[in-house]
Amino acid sequence: MINILCVCGNGMGTSTILKITVKNICDQNGIEANVESCSFGEALSYITTTDLVLTSPEWAGMLPPNDALIVETKNLIDKKEVAEALINALEAHFSQELSK
Amino acid sequence: MFDSILNLLLKQIFGQPFLLMAIIVFIGYIAMKQKVSKAFVGALKASIGILVMGLGSSALISNFGKLLTALQNATGIQGAGLNTYPTMTASYEKMDEVLGIGTGATWGIYTLLVGFILNLVLVALRKFTKIRAVYLTGNAMIVQAGISTYIVWRFLGLGMLPTVFIAAVVTALYWGICSTLLIKPTKEITNADFTVAHQQMFVSYLAYKVAPKLGSSEKDDIEKKKMPQALNFLQDNIIATALVMFISVTIIFLVIGTEQIEWLRGAEGLNQTGLLNNIVFLIWIAVTLTANIVVLLYGVRMFVGELMLSFKGISERLLPGAVAGVDCAALFAFAPKSVVLGLLFGALGQIIGLLGLLLFKSPIFLVPGFIPLFFDNATIGIFANKFGGWKAAAIICTLNGMIQIFGSVLAVKMMELSWWQGSADYATLWVAIIAFFKFIGSLFGIPVAG
Repeated sequence: MINILCVCGNGMGTSTILKITVKNICDQNGIEANVESCSFGEALSYITTTDLVLTSPEWAGMLPPNDALIVETKNLIDKKEVAEALINALEAHFSQELSK
Repeated sequence: MFDSILNLLLKQIFGQPFLLMAIIVFIGYIAMKQKVSKAFVGALKASIGILVMGLGSSALISNFGKLLTALQNATGIQGAGLNTYPTMTASYEKMDEVLGIGTGATWGIYTLLVGFILNLVLVALRKFTKIRAVYLTGNAMIVQAGISTYIVWRFLGLGMLPTVFIAAVVTALYWGICSTLLIKPTKEITNADFTVAHQQMFVSYLAYKVAPKLGSSEKDDIEKKKMPQALNFLQDNIIATALVMFISVTIIFLVIGTEQIEWLRGAEGLNQTGLLNNIVFLIWIAVTLTANIVVLLYGVRMFVGELMLSFKGISERLLPGAVAGVDCAALFAFAPKSVVLGLLFGALGQIIGLLGLLLFKSPIFLVPGFIPLFFDNATIGIFANKFGGWKAAAIICTLNGMIQIFGSVLAVKMMELSWWQGSADYATLWVAIIAFFKFIGSLFGIPVAG
C-alpha cells in the first residue's frame, strides 16, 4: 500500500481531477494506493503520512519540508503525462509496490 | 399508504441533500461498474461532506452576519462578502426560510444534475450548437447551479420543476458556450486539449480578444522575464484568506468604533466576552472566519471529489470526443508568473473599486474574498499576458478588479444576499442575466420571493 497525495492551489479542481486520474492509473496497473488531494497550504497536515506527492513544478517549490518523494508534471490533467511520471517514479523508488 | 410512500421518497429521501447526494454518487459508481463496497464508501463520504459543508457554512454566515450587523448599526451601510461557496449556501438559506429546511440544497442539486445532462446533450448536438466543451469542475458547478436556482425562484416565484428546468437551461448554456470559447486560447497556452470551466471564462475571452490591442506578447511576455519569488506565499489559499480577512476586519473595526465593537463582543454579537483586548478580538474574528471557510471547503471537497468521479466517467463514456472543461488552476503551472501578476493588479483594482464605493457613498460595501480575487485575476492575467504581454495583463486585471467590485454591488442590490460570488463573470454577464430575470418577473407582476 502506497500513500499518494495530489496537490494543487486550492485543493479543489485540479487536484481532484488528478486524484481521479491517479486512482485509474493505479487500478489499471494493480497498484494498491490510498490517494488524497489537498491544496499546498494544507499539505502539511497530510504529508507526514504520504509516500509520494504528485504536483506541478509551481506548487512543488512551495511545499513544506518533508520526506516524501515529490513527482512533478506540468500538465496535471493529461493522463499520459501523469501516468508516465508516476510509473517512472514508482519503478525507481517503490518497485516492490509494482511487483505485487 | 401510497401517499406515505411517496412522501417518504420525495420529502425524506430525495428531499434531503445528504441522502440525495449519497444516492447520486452511489449510482455514479455503479454506472462506472465499480464494486458495491466502493460505491457505499463513496456515497457515505459524499453524505458526510454535505453535512460538513453545512457546519462550516452556517458558522461562517452567522459570524460574518454579526460583523455586517455591527457595520449597519454604526453606518447604515449594507455589507456583503465576496466568496463563491457561501453565496451558494446563503442562497439555500434564503429558499429554506420560505420553503422549508433542505429545499434550497435539494433544488440546487437537481439543477446541477439537469444542467450537466443538458450540457452533455448540447455537446452531443455539437454539429448544430457548436458547443464542444463538457463542464467538469464540480466545485464550481454546484455553486453556480445553486445560485441560478435562487435567481429563477426569486424573480419568477415558480415551483420546483419549472425553477429547476429554467435554471438548468441557463446554467448549461453558460457552461457550454463560455468554456467552448476558451478552447482555442487554452490550447495556445498549454498545447493540451482541455479548456477552462470555472467562473471567469467570459471575461477571460474578452481579455484574449482585447489584450493584443493593448500590448505585444512578443516583447512583453512576463513568463520570459524574472520576478521575485517572495510573493509566492500569497498563493497559499489559507494564508491569503486569513490575510484578506484580517485587513477587512481591521477596516470594519476602524469604521464601527468602540460601541459596536463592545456589542460584537457581547452575548448578542459573537459572545467572546473573555477577549477583552481589541486587537486579540480582531485577530480572533479573522482567524475564526478563515477557519469557518476551511471547514466549508473541506466539506465541499469531500462530496465534489466523489461527484466529479461520476461526471468524468459518464462524460468520457458517452461523449469520447468532447473537450473536458476543468478548473482554471490547471492553467497555472503553464504561466506561474502571470498568476502572481494577475493577483497583484486584480487586488489593486479591487482596492480602487472599494475606495470608489466610499467616495460615491455607496449604500452597499463589500468585503473582498480570496477565491474571486485570486483565481479570476490569475486566469484572466494568464490569457491577457499570453496574447498582449504583461502591460496588457496589468491594465486588464486592474480593470477587472474594479469591475468585480462595481458589478458585485449591482448583483447584491438585486439579490439581497449577504454574500456574492464576486467572480468576474458574476460581476458582468450574470448581472445582466439577473437583471433580465428581474425584468421578466416585474413584467408579469410577480412578487419577489425571499
